[in-house]
Amino acid sequence: MIRLSGIRKSFGRQEVLKGIDLHVGKGEVVAILGPSGSGKTTLLRCINYLEKPGEGEIRIGDQALDARRAGKKDVHALRRRSAMVFQQYNLFSHKTALENVMEGLVVVKKMSKDEARKRGIALLEKVGLGAKLDAYPSRLSGGQQQRVGIARALALEPEVILFDEPTSALDPELVGEVLAVIRRIAKEGITMIIVTHEMGFAQDVANRVVFMDEGVIVEEGPPAQLFGNPKEERTRQFLKRLTPEASYTI
Amino acid sequence: MEYGFDITYIFDFIPKLLQVLHLTLAIVAGAIGIGLIVGLLAALPRLYKVPVLQRLSQVYTSFFRGTPILIQLFLFYYGLPELLKLVYIDVTKLPVLFFVIVTFGLNAGATISEIIRAAVTAVDRGQVEAAYSVGMSGYQAFARIVLPQAIAIAVPVFANLVIAMLKETSLAFALGVMELTGKAQTLGTLTRHFMETYIALAIIYLAVSFTLERILLLFERKLQRHMRRDAADAERRWRLWRGRKPMRERSPEVSGKEVPRYEA
Ligand SMILES: Nc1ncnc2c1ncn2[C@@H]1O[C@H](COP(=O)(O)OP(=O)(O)O)[C@@H](O)[C@H]1O
Ligand SMILES: [Mg+2]
Repeated sequence: MIRLSGIRKSFGRQEVLKGIDLHVGKGEVVAILGPSGSGKTTLLRCINYLEKPGEGEIRIGDQALDARRAGKKDVHALRRRSAMVFQQYNLFSHKTALENVMEGLVVVKKMSKDEARKRGIALLEKVGLGAKLDAYPSRLSGGQQQRVGIARALALEPEVILFDEPTSALDPELVGEVLAVIRRIAKEGITMIIVTHEMGFAQDVANRVVFMDEGVIVEEGPPAQLFGNPKEERTRQFLKRLTPEASYTI
Repeated sequence: MEYGFDITYIFDFIPKLLQVLHLTLAIVAGAIGIGLIVGLLAALPRLYKVPVLQRLSQVYTSFFRGTPILIQLFLFYYGLPELLKLVYIDVTKLPVLFFVIVTFGLNAGATISEIIRAAVTAVDRGQVEAAYSVGMSGYQAFARIVLPQAIAIAVPVFANLVIAMLKETSLAFALGVMELTGKAQTLGTLTRHFMETYIALAIIYLAVSFTLERILLLFERKLQRHMRRDAADAERRWRLWRGRKPMRERSPEVSGKEVPRYEA
C-alpha cells in the first residue's frame, strides 16, 4: 500500500508538483496520464526519492517518510520498498543481462551469488530473455533492454514498481513485447504505478487511471469512467488530442 | 676526438643498458602507482564539489600540469629537504630515486585526476539513478557502477600517459639517477661512441613502449568488452589495428559508416 500526502516539489521558482495526494492499494495497478511537463516523471522520482520533495509525506507499506525530516537511513529504507523502470532503461552497461538483475540482490540484499543467479535466470526467462543471459545491453534491442529493466525491478521484490513511460523510447514494433510482459506481471498482483501514453494498454491493465496536469491530479477513476465519461473539461481536452493515435489496441 | 661509427658497439651496449632497465621500470611503476592513488584522491573532491579540498586539488593539478617536469624534479630534490628542515625532518639521507618516483608520481597524479574526472563525467547519469533505485548507497553506486565504466573509458588515455611517462623518466638522469638514459650517458662518455649508445637506447625505449602498448591494449579490449556492439565490429577493429592503421579506426568516416545502428 502506498499513500502520498501533499507532495510538493519545485525546481527553482517553478512549482512542478503542487500538493499531490494519491493512494494505491496493495495489488492495484494505477496508470498516470497527462501532458508532457505535467510532473509525472517528477512524481515517480519523488516516490523513489531520486528527487527530494519539498514537502509532503510518502508512505510505502509500514515505512513512512516526511520530506522535511528525512534522514539518509529512512531514504534508503523507503527506496528498498520501490523499484523503478526507466524510460531510457538505464541498464548497467558494463554488466550482462543476468548481472544487471543480480546486482541489487547481491549488493543490496546480500543474497549469495548462487541464489541471486538462480533468481536472475528465472526472472529473465519469465520476461522471455532466457537466451540472452550473458548479453551486454549494447547487444540487446531496446525492447529486450527494457525487459531486463523490468526483471531487475522484479528481482528486488519491491512493494511497488514504478514505470516511467516504459515504452516511449521504443520503436513501434517493439512496444508490444514490453507491454505484454507488464500485462503478465500485473496479473500476478504486483502493485504498480505506470506513467504511459498507451491508452489501450492503460484501459485494460489499470484498475484506476489518474489524470495529471500542471502539477495537480485533475481527475481519477476506473478506466471505463475516466476514458468513457470524464468529468473534467481538461481531461476531455487531453483525451481528445490523444485518441486518434491511440485508438488501436495492442 | 672523433671515433668512427661501429655497429658492434650497439650490440655491446644493449645488454649493458638492460642491466638498469629495472630502474626505469621501477620509476614508471612507482609513479603510476602513486599517480593512481593521488589522482583518485584529487579527482573526488572536484567531482563531488567538496568546498576547500576542491580548491586545493585545483591548485595541485595546475601546478603539476603547468610546469615542466624537469623543474619539478629540481624543486623536489633540492627544495623539499630545505623545506622539511624547517620542521626538523631530515630527508637528505633518502635516495635520489625516492624523490624521482614521488615527483613523477605527483606529476602523473595530476594528469590521472583529470582523466578520472573526464571519464566519470562521461558515465551515463541514468545508470547512477538506477543504482540508487535498486537501493545502493552513494559509495556502492560509485564503486560498482561508475568507477568500472570510467576506468574502461579512461584506459586508452591512460595508456598514452604510461608511454609518455616511460619516455619522461629519461629526465631523471638530470639528478644523476643511473636509469637507462643516465647509463647511456656514462657509456657514451667512457667509449666516445655516443651515436651507438643513443641508437641502443632508442631501440630499448622503443621495445619497452611497444610491449607496454600491447599489454595495455589487451586491458583495453578486456575492459571495454561491454562497449563492443558485436563480434564483427570487434573483429574489424582488431584487423584495422593489426593492419597498422590505428588512427583510421578512430576516424569518424570509418566508424560512422560501418557501426550498425542501435536504438537509443
Ligand atoms: N531536474 C530538473 N530541473 C529543472 N526542471 C525540471 C527538472 N526535472 C523536471 N523539470 C521540469 O519540471 C516539469 C515537469 O517535468 P516532468 O516531471 O518530467 O514532466 P512529465 O514527466 O509529466 O513530462 C517540466 O517543466 C520540467 O522542465
Ligand atoms: Mg516524463
